[in-house]
Amino acid sequence: MADGATVDLSNVESLKPRPFGEGYKLIGRDFSTSDLVAKVTGRAKYAEDFRAEGMLFCRLVLSPMPHARVKRINAEKALAMPGVRAILTPSEVPGHADYVNDNGQTIKADKWGELALADEPMYQGEPILAVAAVDELTCAEAIEKIEIEMEPLPFATDPLESLRPNGPNARLDGNVWAPDPHSRDSTLTTLKWTKDDFAEYDQGRLPMGSAPEKWSYGDVDAGLKDAALILDETFLTPDVSHQCLEPRTTMAYWQNGKLFVYTGTQSTGQTVPAIARWMQMSEDKIVFVSEYTGGGFGSKITGAQTLVIPALLSKKLRAPVMMRISREEEHFIGRARPGIRGRVKIGFARDGRITALDMFLVSDAGSYGSSGDGGSCGSITSLLYQPPAMRWRNVTVATNTPPRSAQSAPGGMQAIAIMEPILSKAARKLGVDQVALRRVNCPEGKAEYGPANHKGERAHVTSCYLKQALDYGAEQFKWQQRAAQQPKRMGTKVRGVGAALSCFHGGSSGFDGLIVITPEGRVRIHTGIGNLGTEALIDVHRAAAEVLDVPWEAVDIVWGDTAKNLPYSCHSGGSQTIHAMTRAGHAVGLECRQRLQEVAAKALGGQPEEYEVANLHVVRKGGGAGLSFAQAAQKAIQLGGIYDGHEVNPDVNKVTKQAAIALAGQGLIATARDKYPHDGDSFSFLSCFAEVEVDVETGVYRIVDYLAYADVGTVIHPAALRGQVLGRSTLGIAHAIGQKWVIDPQYGATVAKRFYQNKPPTILDVPVDMQWGALNIPDPETPVGARGCGEPPVGGGCAAILNALSDALGDEIFQRAPVNADTILTSYEAGRPMQEALTAHI
Amino acid sequence: MELIQWAISPWGRTVPIHIAWSLIWIAAIAAFCFMIVHALYLIIVKPPKRFAESKAEASAAGIPERVPRHTLAARLFHWIMAASMFTLLITAFLPKAGIDFNWVVYHWIAGCVLTVSILFHIVHASFFLDFWSIWPDKTDLIDARNRTLRFFGKDAPLPRKFAKYPLENKLYHGAVMIAGLAVIVTGLFMMKRVQTGLFVRNPYLFSDMTWGMMYVLHGLAGVGFIALTIMHVYMGVRPEKFPITKSMIFGWMSRDFYLEEHDRGRWAVQAQSTPPAQQGYSASDGD
Amino acid sequence: MAVIRDVMPAFDLLQPGSATEAQKLLEQYGADAWVMAGGLDSFDWLKDRIKKPKVLVDLSGVDELKGVHAQGDGVEIGAMTTLTEIANHPLIQKSYGVLAQAVELVASPQIRNQGTLGGNVSQDARCWYYRGGWPCYRAGGNICYADTPVGRNREHAIFGADRCVAVHPSDSAPALIALDAKFLIRTPQGERVVDAEDYFVGPETDITKLNILGSGDLLTAIRIPGTWAGAKFYFEKVRDRNVWDFPLMNVASAIRLSGNTIDQIRIAVNAVAPRPMRLKAVEDAVRGKPADADTGEMAGKIAIQGAVPLQFNAYKIPLMRNLVKRAIAPPEEAQWS
Repeated sequence: MADGATVDLSNVESLKPRPFGEGYKLIGRDFSTSDLVAKVTGRAKYAEDFRAEGMLFCRLVLSPMPHARVKRINAEKALAMPGVRAILTPSEVPGHADYVNDNGQTIKADKWGELALADEPMYQGEPILAVAAVDELTCAEAIEKIEIEMEPLPFATDPLESLRPNGPNARLDGNVWAPDPHSRDSTLTTLKWTKDDFAEYDQGRLPMGSAPEKWSYGDVDAGLKDAALILDETFLTPDVSHQCLEPRTTMAYWQNGKLFVYTGTQSTGQTVPAIARWMQMSEDKIVFVSEYTGGGFGSKITGAQTLVIPALLSKKLRAPVMMRISREEEHFIGRARPGIRGRVKIGFARDGRITALDMFLVSDAGSYGSSGDGGSCGSITSLLYQPPAMRWRNVTVATNTPPRSAQSAPGGMQAIAIMEPILSKAARKLGVDQVALRRVNCPEGKAEYGPANHKGERAHVTSCYLKQALDYGAEQFKWQQRAAQQPKRMGTKVRGVGAALSCFHGGSSGFDGLIVITPEGRVRIHTGIGNLGTEALIDVHRAAAEVLDVPWEAVDIVWGDTAKNLPYSCHSGGSQTIHAMTRAGHAVGLECRQRLQEVAAKALGGQPEEYEVANLHVVRKGGGAGLSFAQAAQKAIQLGGIYDGHEVNPDVNKVTKQAAIALAGQGLIATARDKYPHDGDSFSFLSCFAEVEVDVETGVYRIVDYLAYADVGTVIHPAALRGQVLGRSTLGIAHAIGQKWVIDPQYGATVAKRFYQNKPPTILDVPVDMQWGALNIPDPETPVGARGCGEPPVGGGCAAILNALSDALGDEIFQRAPVNADTILTSYEAGRPMQEALTAHI
Repeated sequence: MELIQWAISPWGRTVPIHIAWSLIWIAAIAAFCFMIVHALYLIIVKPPKRFAESKAEASAAGIPERVPRHTLAARLFHWIMAASMFTLLITAFLPKAGIDFNWVVYHWIAGCVLTVSILFHIVHASFFLDFWSIWPDKTDLIDARNRTLRFFGKDAPLPRKFAKYPLENKLYHGAVMIAGLAVIVTGLFMMKRVQTGLFVRNPYLFSDMTWGMMYVLHGLAGVGFIALTIMHVYMGVRPEKFPITKSMIFGWMSRDFYLEEHDRGRWAVQAQSTPPAQQGYSASDGD
Repeated sequence: MAVIRDVMPAFDLLQPGSATEAQKLLEQYGADAWVMAGGLDSFDWLKDRIKKPKVLVDLSGVDELKGVHAQGDGVEIGAMTTLTEIANHPLIQKSYGVLAQAVELVASPQIRNQGTLGGNVSQDARCWYYRGGWPCYRAGGNICYADTPVGRNREHAIFGADRCVAVHPSDSAPALIALDAKFLIRTPQGERVVDAEDYFVGPETDITKLNILGSGDLLTAIRIPGTWAGAKFYFEKVRDRNVWDFPLMNVASAIRLSGNTIDQIRIAVNAVAPRPMRLKAVEDAVRGKPADADTGEMAGKIAIQGAVPLQFNAYKIPLMRNLVKRAIAPPEEAQWS
């Protein structure tokens, strides 16, 4: 049963892995989700598959310059072509405006914010114009007839170059994002370091000038003073595009004053307010359809702003408009993880325990927005390695490179990639086993992290069993045998093993559930979650089904179209879905059970608590009269009010309320909000292990084995969790083995824009039989004990490979990721890193 | 017809990248047309060579049989320059005409040779020769006007004999000088764009537009040289000009030719006893 | 003029049924024609709207250009034979294993199913500046964007650079050079047969092409003589990803041994220069020497003489040294317990 997810926290060390599904009928068991067949047979309709009568096409004109002002557009010849219907210019796109968020707060307009079309493009590849025509060939031929006069403006593609004295600013009014003293937002300022600040640049050490963002706790200087070993290391993490297989293609049309939009998103429900904000129109005039989405990874949390282009063109032309996005366009507008240059000074005691940690970061925020990755990098470091004293400083620099956004474990991935190679080096220098060194620094239980707040309190997590994950992971990986294996070199091949810790946020709370028990006796669950392909869309509703004790076959999930009355759901970002929506599912399951009991009592007499719900019936406990779900639904319709949606649970969000009211009379309708308390913030944790084999004559290496062991609370759907643990590990591995950006600094232009150039990993780049495991120890702060696992594996995937490489080759090979044959070959010969860490985008 | 080949720069701007290669053919055809017209004119019209009498012409006394015209240094310069020019033209334009070979190295080396020889020539002509002898003077202009008037059948005085160089020769020198300076200056910068081993390659010295214009100028001067070279060779082998060509080989021209074509008042040749070095070799020696 | 890098331009699609017809079409349309084999290079150019031919001559229907046929003591491979067919062909596997290995490492299975041998050897450079449509030397312009003080040139040339520093991307080319293959070309003047290494041209000769095919020329077949059938072969490709990647470098060798002494050898590397390089100096130096690590070391050192690294590709020098060494004396496979 769903409420059985409790653990004894008094002795965390004694907790052991539990079999999946223990105590449940549905949770923890594999099943096929209802959208799978459509996906594997091609019946699933992604945005590009939709058609509407009279549909036109539009294509984009991208800025060739990294920073410029559009002075003049002459589209006369294009518009004179047969079949060309219109162009859309930046002046026709609604500007920045204040908006009210879900919590009723007014968010001030961001004057630095991005618009769908730019008249002052901030990066090469930014859309500056759109052309609509009867087909794409006409669009393309028309675009080639358009003359655009642009005035180039100063630009910066490398954050450190921007920080140099007299270095270029990415924007006319500044180059660095700093905390606004009057709000929680960031403001753009100008920051230049001195020539002296750059004194160590040529030695490959990150310059450390003044930093606008900083915090600290504990006595860092004393901690370093007491250390047996101090390491001071610089590392560069790569800028990596999200590379969603489905680009940001959108189709839009208007009907009866309503805007219909079809595109991919990480949240069906929460994309509507975003569209309303971008279009500056009312939410209730928007219908949003997103049945399937080909990947988001943080880049499509509420769709993409470019969706307004076909919407505006459609309004202008009174015809549906399809905007297909090519792979190259997707490279530009599809978002990326910000690369971070990190320099960390860490003190270690003889047993490997960290005594103090001093972290300095320069984050590349790209062309729009102040990236939060630097901040997250600091807090994840503080949590995952539990330094007793820590100082964090961060400079977030704007550059004229494609926009960044959250990407699976934003900041967390970079923190782990920067930190783990230092821990590995420390273990070798101190003669401590890699796993043992991590174990002594491991968070545990309600581990604290980050700086103290104004009350002097530090934040803490809901629960952490990473030590167990490390122990059981090491055991399953046979760490001791592998680490002890001799010889490490045979012929030209050298083997190495790496272990890494990993973690990231694992959930949020406060969302709603909506269930309709239909007069046919079906359990219909509506959800506003986006269908990202992780199966969380479906999996979370096992919690409600478990509470109602219904067979899964009787459950229908309604998703992907806001005309279908979807409740207020979390967006699938921040790994929150499994946590947030199992809570909401649990809450609405209980609410539904309560209403069924009440309906039964009203129909058959007695008190509601005298009835129990099981197997699609609500029956008097101990046997006797009862109603089937079908009968209960019919009775609920008769009763009306709170039972059939004419009245709605006052706790729920207005979106859920509207949905329920729209559904009123269709059956027994239950809505509920997740109001469960939780002490601490939800994080998920993993231990990751890898073995690599490097050919030192070619620099080529292969990953021999990989294992990730998860502490993610209760396992809801093992097959889906496996997909998440290993899939997101692979995303992390991509950062280690090859995926990257290449930008020519002279023109500020991306030159690696295709898969074969920026090289996301392929199926053959990871071991065939990657292994995984999960503790399945429930989180005590959430009803079914489950936390998210979308992002937590990413950093560990990357770092396990990096650590295995340095185990094989030594510590003086690389200072940056990805590590390729070129990195290894030259450095191994020279005995020192030959690719310096500080030049971006090579 | 396009004179310039345009391209879209990485920043989306329309920039010149070089001349339209069809100009090669146009220059060559134009030069051949000139040659044919000129030859036909001389054959059909047979214009008489008539000069006004000169006061200084009365006596040929003291004129050596072999009138020294070009010093050895000047001749060496001329032929080195000619060799480099031919190399430059062949290496530049044969590949464009479809004959592929490894041309760049020979081209820039020949360009360096040309540059050095021109530098030598500037110094040599400025300080060791009669610098002004190659520049048109007032008499040249008056005579040119008179010759033109007479050509069109108007009444005009007979032109005088030439100084050391006929006006055509001086104008040709001017054209070669302008085109030569253009190819050399642009060519030297262009060497920053190719692998020569002499400089660190840096194509970003100038903007795309400036570079484009530089390539266009280099090309225009280059195709100009096609026409100029064809005309020069043609003139060099014409029978009536051959004594001048010979003088560029052997250094002297005959007294008869000297007396027939040149005005002793304008190009004074001293008595035989005077050392040649002080006899006023002119700045154009070597053209 | 604004630029869009998507949507194939309109052209007339010509689908000849015979090689003669194909060659005539190429001759007839000259510079206006684009010849397409498997389409893997062509579609990139076309979809990027960088090349806009008036007609596209699609060779996919020319059956006489397909297939592997034993010929005398050698074999003739039609230019339109797919890489998959070559990789799986028993005769190629048995006698010319170096070619089977090479083509099996091309790109990905899907690409090998569609890609042809003729296309693989005739494909254009993959320099990201050039393929991005930048007006570089190779595109008829006056600059190399990769060889500048800030150019991104990790995958570029260490040999044979002449203004352009792009490398030749073919995996099959060095194997064909090692096998002393002959390329059969149908030209307006008749059939021409050239040695494999002479099929390719460097930028010093023609900066806009990677091979000798001129307007109206059609590569019809590649003939491999029996000379090297069953020789000791070596092929290795180094790339960033294990599938769907062009070579950072590859090496192919064919060796005839007397005992352990190298009697005859042909060795070639690619992706180090704008054309595949046959290493004659290495061949001369190792002939008569034992096929062992010492000879390999010596060969590697000879191979890299004269290499000029760019800013980001110095790794190619030790890589070439080591690959050449291995092509003479292959490393032993590690046997982990």
